[in-house]
Amino acid sequence: MINVVKEGEKYLVADVTITEANLSNSDQFKAELVNLLDKHGKIIVLDLQELKYVDSAFLGALVSSLKYAMTKQLDIILVDLRTDIKDLIKLIRLDKVFKIYNYPEDALAAINKSYAEVR
Amino acid sequence: MHWPPSTNHMQKCAKKLAFEFKNDAAALIPSLQYLLAEITESIPPGADAEDILFRCKVIITELLTNAIKHGGNGITLFDIEADADQLRINKTDHGSPLYLINTHNHSATDNLANKKLISADPLNSLYAHWENENCIRFISEESSIEDFLSVEQVMEHFGILIISRSSDEFTYNYDKETQTNTFKVRIDF
Repeated sequence: MINVVKEGEKYLVADVTITEANLSNSDQFKAELVNLLDKHGKIIVLDLQELKYVDSAFLGALVSSLKYAMTKQLDIILVDLRTDIKDLIKLIRLDKVFKIYNYPEDALAAINKSYAEVR
Repeated sequence: MHWPPSTNHMQKCAKKLAFEFKNDAAALIPSLQYLLAEITESIPPGADAEDILFRCKVIITELLTNAIKHGGNGITLFDIEADADQLRINKTDHGSPLYLINTHNHSATDNLANKKLISADPLNSLYAHWENENCIRFISEESSIEDFLSVEQVMEHFGILIISRSSDEFTYNYDKETQTNTFKVRIDF
């Protein structure tokens, strides 16, 4: 369901490989995401380009996973969203809590810039 | 009509559709696609079809999800009706009533007392307004994020919020005699 495609010093880039994310797989989605956070201890850049359908259960799992990431001083960044999924996220204002970029490269540039500023 | 569609179970008029959804997650996406295709034909020229279909997509997704979660092993009925001005989506089932239905004594004289905050976080507030003892209208508002403290405060249940935010009116009715739940959604063209 979540496939790591790239790993850097501070981040993982992971593809969501399902096309439909709903109440039937949201628990598994969250479990895989939490497992990645535990195992790698890195910011996750989640590429959602394959995702065509989402529901509130998936969005709940995403928020719950973000809360978990925050407790570990990590983050979950969303990239490559279909327009309607981005619109849904904006509709309920989750764009205020998730960093969202068009492409993984944009997210990685932001992560690198953030760490450069800290140093 | 169960999925896949059967003409024996479908009563389709010019712009009115009755649809029976078997409360099964495997039928969610095919049912959604079918209903959206039917709705597409009902959108009048000049209306913002892209916006209406987006709203219908998220609303129907949540109504189907609700049916799977709360409708038990039975059937959920969808009635969709459109005219030149509005689209109405009604979802009816015989599952347990919404938890809110017995939590408020409706006041016939004090309208303000009939509106209650049912969930809130730094992003959104959701209110229930009791139209009468058995009818609740949902209203959502954007919260002020000036006092935003932590992602920890953000709620994780969005179903009612999504429908409320996407529709022009969203109500829930419970008929005690027939033990019937009906969610009614209106979208103005």
